[in-house]
Amino acid sequence: MIEVVDESPEALYRILEQSGWGDGLPVVAPTEARVDAMLEIYGGSADDVLAVLPPRSGACTARVAAVNAVMAGCPPEVFPVVVAAVRALDRPEFNLRGVQATTHSVAVMVAVHGRVIETAGYNAGFGTFGPGHRANATTGRAIRLILLDVGGGRPGDGDASTQGQPAKYSYCMAENAAASPWPLYPTCRGVDAASAVTVAAVEGPHNVHDMWSTHPAPIYRKVASVMTTLGSNNAVMADSEFFVVLCPEHARQAASEGWSRRDVQLFLHHHARLSRRVRNEHFADMGIEPPWMRSTDDPDAQLPVTGEPDDIRVLVAGGPGKHSCVIPAWGSISRSVTVPV
Amino acid sequence: MRIHRPDGPIAQPVHRLAPSRRVMAGARIGVLDNRKPNAGLLMSAVASHLADRAGSAEPLVLTKNAARPAPAEVIDQLQREVDLVLTGSAD
Repeated sequence: MIEVVDESPEALYRILEQSGWGDGLPVVAPTEARVDAMLEIYGGSADDVLAVLPPRSGACTARVAAVNAVMAGCPPEVFPVVVAAVRALDRPEFNLRGVQATTHSVAVMVAVHGRVIETAGYNAGFGTFGPGHRANATTGRAIRLILLDVGGGRPGDGDASTQGQPAKYSYCMAENAAASPWPLYPTCRGVDAASAVTVAAVEGPHNVHDMWSTHPAPIYRKVASVMTTLGSNNAVMADSEFFVVLCPEHARQAASEGWSRRDVQLFLHHHARLSRRVRNEHFADMGIEPPWMRSTDDPDAQLPVTGEPDDIRVLVAGGPGKHSCVIPAWGSISRSVTVPV
Repeated sequence: MRIHRPDGPIAQPVHRLAPSRRVMAGARIGVLDNRKPNAGLLMSAVASHLADRAGSAEPLVLTKNAARPAPAEVIDQLQREVDLVLTGSAD
C-alpha cells in the first residue's frame, strides 16, 4: 500500500511518474474500498494468480487486476470480462512475451460476446471501437494498464514498439449478435457459453467503405484488397489470422444472397492473394514462409495471404452505415484466444 | 489515504547473465541468429573474428524465430557445444 496526500489527479500523477506506472492519463485512485468493491463480483480469492505476465514476470492476482480496473475507471460489472481476458493472455499460443516486446505496433484487442454485453453495458452498435461507452473504454484500458504495470511493457523498456498506436490506450469492442445473420462468433472457436471474450494481437482497424454495391461480391473484393496490404506482417508470414468485422449492412447483404460465414471466409481466402512475383520482389527470405507457400516457383501463381479460410475470423459489429473493417494480426507468431466469461 | 500498488509481485526469479569468461583462448563460439535482416551476416562475421582470436573452430550458427523463444533443442545444443553465444538483433 502507498500513502498519498490526497486523491487529486496531481497527487496521483506524482506517484505514477515516480514509479513508472500508468498510461499517461488520469486514473481513479485504487483505494481499499474501491478495490474491495471491484472484487465483490469475483468468485474466488483475491490472491488467485490469474496470469504471470511478461516481460516483467509480474503476478497478476485478482486483487492486482482489480487495482488496475479501478484505475481504469471500470464499473464492477465488467470485471469478469477483465479477469477472463487476463487469463486468455496467459495462454501459450497468444505469445504475450512477443506481443509485449516487438517493434511492431500491435495492440491487444478485446472482443466481447454474448449476454455480458447487455448486463455490463458494452456497446456493440454505433462506434463500438470508439469512445463514449464506459464499459468498452475502461475494459480496454484496464487490460493495457495491466500489461504496462504488471507485465512491464513500457514504451522503450519492455515494449519496443517503434511508433506505438492509439489502440494501445484501449481497444475493446462488442459483437452485435442481434444484427448478425450468423451464429455468435465464439461458437466458431468451440466456445459454447452465454458470454465470452476474445483477445487478439492485432493492428488497428483498416476501414472498408462500400455504399454503392447491391451485391456482396464487390464489397468483399474490397475487403480482400485491404487484406493484401504489403506492409502488414500477414503479408510476410502468410499464415496468420485476419479479423474481418462486418457492419450489419454488409453482413446482411451477403446473407441475403445465401452466404454463410463460411462462404465469406472462402470468398476472401480465394480473392485475398499476392503473386509469387510480388512476394519475391518485396519480401526477403527470412525463413518464415509456411511450407505450402514454398511449393511453387511460378511467378504468376496467386498465393493466399493466409493458409486456411478459418483463419479469417468473421464477426459483425457496429451500427447503421456501410463501413466494415479488416484487422490484420501481428502474424502467425500469436494466435487469438476465445474463452468463456 | 492509502492506495494499492498496481504492479503486483515478481512471480519468477529474475534471470542474471552468466559471468563473462576471463580468458578467450579456446572458447567455442556460437551464434543464435534470429533471422532479422543481416543479423546472421553481422553476428557470423563477428563470431568468426572471435573464433580466430580464440584459436577455436568455426562458430556454430543456429537459427530461431525472432518473435518466439528458441526451441529447447537449440538451447540444449548451444549449452553443450559452445562457451560464448552472440545473439539478439532488432530490425
